[in-house]
Parts: sequence; C-alpha cells; structure tokens
Amino acid sequence: MTSRTTTVLVGVASLFAGLVIPVAHAQRASGPVKVVQLTGLAGVKENAKGTLSVENGQLHFVHGKASSDVSAASIQDVVTGADSQRAVGGKIGMMSMAAPYGGGRVLSLFRSKIETLTVQYRDADGGLHGAIFTMPVGTAQVIKNELVAQGAHTTASGEPTPAANSSSSPNQEQKQ
Amino acid sequence: MKRVLNAAIGLSVFTLVFSAGPLLAQKNQPAKVKAAALQVEMIQSDEIKVPAEFQVAPYENLIRQLEKNGFSHVYRDGDRNATTVRDLVVLHSTVRGFKAGSERARQVTTVSGATSITVHCQFTSPDGTSLLEQDVNGKVRFFGGNLKATYDFAKKAAHVANENFSKPGRE
Repeated sequence: MTSRTTTVLVGVASLFAGLVIPVAHAQRASGPVKVVQLTGLAGVKENAKGTLSVENGQLHFVHGKASSDVSAASIQDVVTGADSQRAVGGKIGMMSMAAPYGGGRVLSLFRSKIETLTVQYRDADGGLHGAIFTMPVGTAQVIKNELVAQGAHTTASGEPTPAANSSSSPNQEQKQ
Repeated sequence: MKRVLNAAIGLSVFTLVFSAGPLLAQKNQPAKVKAAALQVEMIQSDEIKVPAEFQVAPYENLIRQLEKNGFSHVYRDGDRNATTVRDLVVLHSTVRGFKAGSERARQVTTVSGATSITVHCQFTSPDGTSLLEQDVNGKVRFFGGNLKATYDFAKKAAHVANENFSKPGRE
C-alpha cells in the first residue's frame, strides 16, 4: 500500500516537474542571449550573430570582438513577434534544394520557432533607427521587459504576436 | 549612278530616323529635380497593420539602397542635421498592401506563398509640396525569408529616386 502511494506521488511529482520546468526554462532570467541581428544597429553588419543583454540601462550587443550599445532611454518602441525559420538553413539548406525526388522540399517542412525583437531608437542627432533581432523562443519578452523596466518605451504590451509567419498567418492580402 | 544616289539617300534617311528616335525620347524625359539630400521618414502603416519588422526593415533597407545609389546625404527620420540643408527632398512612405506569404509554402510548392508589400512613396519638399508620388511593390517569390520582400521594395524605391532626382555634382 505504501509502495503504491509512493509510486503515485513520484508520478504526480514527475508530471508536475515536467509541466513546470519547460515554462521556467522558456522564461529564464536574462543573461546574454544568442541572437542574430538582421538589420539596423549602427556599425553592425546585417545578419550578424552575437549575444544580446540588458545591462546598466543599455541594450548591449556583442558580435565577435566588437560591441554595440543602445541606451534604453533612447528606445521609442520595442515589439516582440513570433516567426519560424528552416531547421536546416544556410548553404546546406540551399544545396539540399537540388536533392533528387524533392528531398530538399521535404527538409523545408522542418522549421524551428523563433522570436523577433524589433527596437526603434534615436541616435544623438535625433535620427530614427530600427533594429531587428531573431532569438530563441521565450527570450524576446524577457529582454523587452528588462528594457521597459530600464526606461524604454513601448506601444505594444503583452505576449508576442505572430508576425509574418510562414506557417500561421493568413495569406490574405489587405488592400485599401 | 542614279541608283547609287537613291540608295545613299535612303540609307541616310534610315539612319536619321533610327538615331533621332532615342534623342527625341531623351528630350521628352522630364527634367530631374535637384536633390542635395534625401530624408527618409519612417514607414507608416496606420490603415494596414503589418508586423513591426515589416515597418522597420523597409526603412532601413531604403536608407541603405539610397546610399548605394549614390545619394551621399541620406538623413534619417528626425535627424536635426537635415533642417539646415537646402534642396532637401523628404520621402514619406505608407503601406498600402501587405500579404504575409509563407516561406515554407514557397519552398515546398514553388508556386504559392509569395510575400508582397505595396508602399505608397511620396517625395516632397520640406514645406510639404509634393514632387512625385508612386506606388512601389516588393515581392519574394521563391528564395529567401519573408523580409526579403522589403529589400526588393527598397531597391525599386531607390531606383525611382535615382530616375527622378539629380544628385549634387551629377546634373
């Protein structure tokens, strides 16, 4: 009897842990987050891989040996979004398109979810910049919250909205 | 002898017609408006809701493409340095159409899933006088992510600017 109760308790605990741990993992505390800077940071090339963190009121992007900072106070808008990308990308993904019997197309079906962080900020002359980052799921909202806490402005609040996502958005053209 | 003369006259008339055509066409082209500098305003999308990255990426790509096309002074939205520039042309852009598309559908089917964005570009003087208005469309049909449509738009918009505005020292 005791053995059965113990087994049930262990099972319930495992189930609970299984439900809670991924959520905690997804909303892990900020530290540097691996991101890809698609465009917009002054002095940083497009599609630059690096790490992003929020420290001392600055959005801090480190790319190789170089780094770029944006003051949270200068941020006019920060928006998160959801997107997806090919699981097999880059040159291998491109080469796979030539695979026989539509093998490359089958690979295109496998996609991984990502999040986007879009930041609009003004430079010292008042010029508006827009930077776009892609990052793992569960990290964009954390960075956004930290930026807002340190003085950044935002027009949108809440959870990430599905962006021009490949799989989930409707393909209806909106016209005037 | 007379036959040779006739042939020579015919040939010269033929040459004249074909060479004068392009020259006349050049004369008919509207004169380019002088633009010492361009200022790009942030893309507006009040009527049609687009994801934030589809508002920001065209703006950044547009600035980059205009600089690539030889406009040495391209100012950003709100740049204080632009206020003192003479012959400044301001580019206002508003999203008129947007189709999100699907990269997955593009790569699997090759015929569906195109992403497209249509932006109304209005070039004005600093006082708001309209100099040129045109709809510019950006598309990605097969290769590349959805944001590549904004790159296509920027290239076309920069081409429109290049065709209609003269840069300093290149009139």
